[in-house]
Amino acid sequence: MLTEAKNQIKVMILSIKYALQREMLNKISFFSNIIFMVLNNACFIIQWIILYAIKDNVGNYSFKQVLLLWGLAAGTYGFAHFFFKESFELSEMIHTGKLDTYLIQPKSVLLSVITSSVEVSAIGDMLYGIIMVFLYGFSMKTLLLFILFSITGGLIITSIAVIWASLSFWFGRMDILTNTVNSLMTNFATYPEGIFKGFIKILFYTVIPIGFGIYLPVQIIHEFQWTLLLLVIAITCILILIANILFYKGLKRYSSSNLMNVRT
Amino acid sequence: MKKYLYIYKSELMTNIQYAFDLLIGFITYCIMIFIFLNLWQYIYQDPKELINGYTMSQMIWYVIITEILWMSLGGRKLCKKIAEDVRSGNIAYNINKPYSYVEYSLWNHMGLVTVRFVLVGILGMILGAIFLHTFPSLNIFQLIGIIVSCILATMISIYIITALGLISFFIEDASPFYWLYSKMILVIGTIFPIEFFPAVLQPIIKFSPIYVVSYGPAKLFVDFTTTGFFNILIAQIIYLIISCTICHLIYRKGVRKLNVNGG
Repeated sequence: MLTEAKNQIKVMILSIKYALQREMLNKISFFSNIIFMVLNNACFIIQWIILYAIKDNVGNYSFKQVLLLWGLAAGTYGFAHFFFKESFELSEMIHTGKLDTYLIQPKSVLLSVITSSVEVSAIGDMLYGIIMVFLYGFSMKTLLLFILFSITGGLIITSIAVIWASLSFWFGRMDILTNTVNSLMTNFATYPEGIFKGFIKILFYTVIPIGFGIYLPVQIIHEFQWTLLLLVIAITCILILIANILFYKGLKRYSSSNLMNVRT
Repeated sequence: MKKYLYIYKSELMTNIQYAFDLLIGFITYCIMIFIFLNLWQYIYQDPKELINGYTMSQMIWYVIITEILWMSLGGRKLCKKIAEDVRSGNIAYNINKPYSYVEYSLWNHMGLVTVRFVLVGILGMILGAIFLHTFPSLNIFQLIGIIVSCILATMISIYIITALGLISFFIEDASPFYWLYSKMILVIGTIFPIEFFPAVLQPIIKFSPIYVVSYGPAKLFVDFTTTGFFNILIAQIIYLIISCTICHLIYRKGVRKLNVNGG
């Protein structure tokens, strides 16, 4: 089983490597995408400078915590969109019957599909996240926790995307709903939890679990707690498991559209 | 002019048929308004309190209007289409047509913006009425003035984004330039009125496109004054002429570099 997992990871890394090499064919475009994404994210610092000039505490977050929140939101988004970009297009692929190319491969269908291309600008998101760690206050512990939570957060976002997309096997076109959930996660993740009231907070720990992907990790980096760390890891594992089960259960209902596709 | 109006009309009719596809944009719009409603409710301890001359209600209406302008613009789609036309060589089909590619893009895209503006506009007004229970007191002439200002703001935005897309003549991927422009408009023009920025920066922002594409129409909606209207209108006309000229210049310079392989 361990050898199988090792082989699967090896195939996944190769898939990402070739996708990255394809993107690097045009070097100017490749690097400008990354640099401009860092600058693009940095624009939002202006928003927070202005807000903190009005009030010294927004949603019980200090300015530095907001920088960390932004860094983590960018890091998780970057991780998910770089390594598992196609999970955000999965609904469309299922609905239009474009999975055939991946079904004939001997490795995990789900991993083959979602790692089949990369989003170059997502490297800029991950870099921006690291820069924010330095602005927040660098320490080895903070950096390691940040990397860990970028991975768990990225896996949570990916799992949620796969879960919603897998419903296409049963209900047909789900792309509007999937895009809405993704959009909800991205938009809410960049604002402190404390500014929201009522039922929306329940959604953060259920349907759009950015509570586990972003808010709890920010709290843990700021004030370390083992129990919260284990909770975040456990929730990540559970969501990966649900995504996996749902996708393979749905795959049995998949019907091809007989499209001629070649995997690049 | 007649041919451009015909292009506008045909694109408008097409988009009316597919209005349901704009649903995803509506949802994102609702999310953004909900977030800003929560944010400003948190910042304003007392809704009657004035921060930089704005009440909480004015701040939220300001964001509702700037977001209507931004969401109905569909800038990313426009920039991507123009860049793709240049990269794929499709733009060559437009060279021998009896119209200007730049003007074609403007009127073609205006057809999409019109449908989105009406739908997102209605949604914005409903959200504002539900959340705030108030509506700025405006007479019919003031409303017409604001709509004229919104149309000019949209036309300027389309010219600027077209110019950014046409950069693809010189470098392959123009989208990073669009990201930066869009974030500058979103952060500086959409979320806060100019009065929220440090006094040193305010004159610079007033001379930037932000004043004419975002701040101007929204400011008129929350606090209409006749002097303000004419100031914004004059600035918009000047910007319209400048952005149109720049766009045509980039196109003329770029199209000379065009090299298309037939097939």
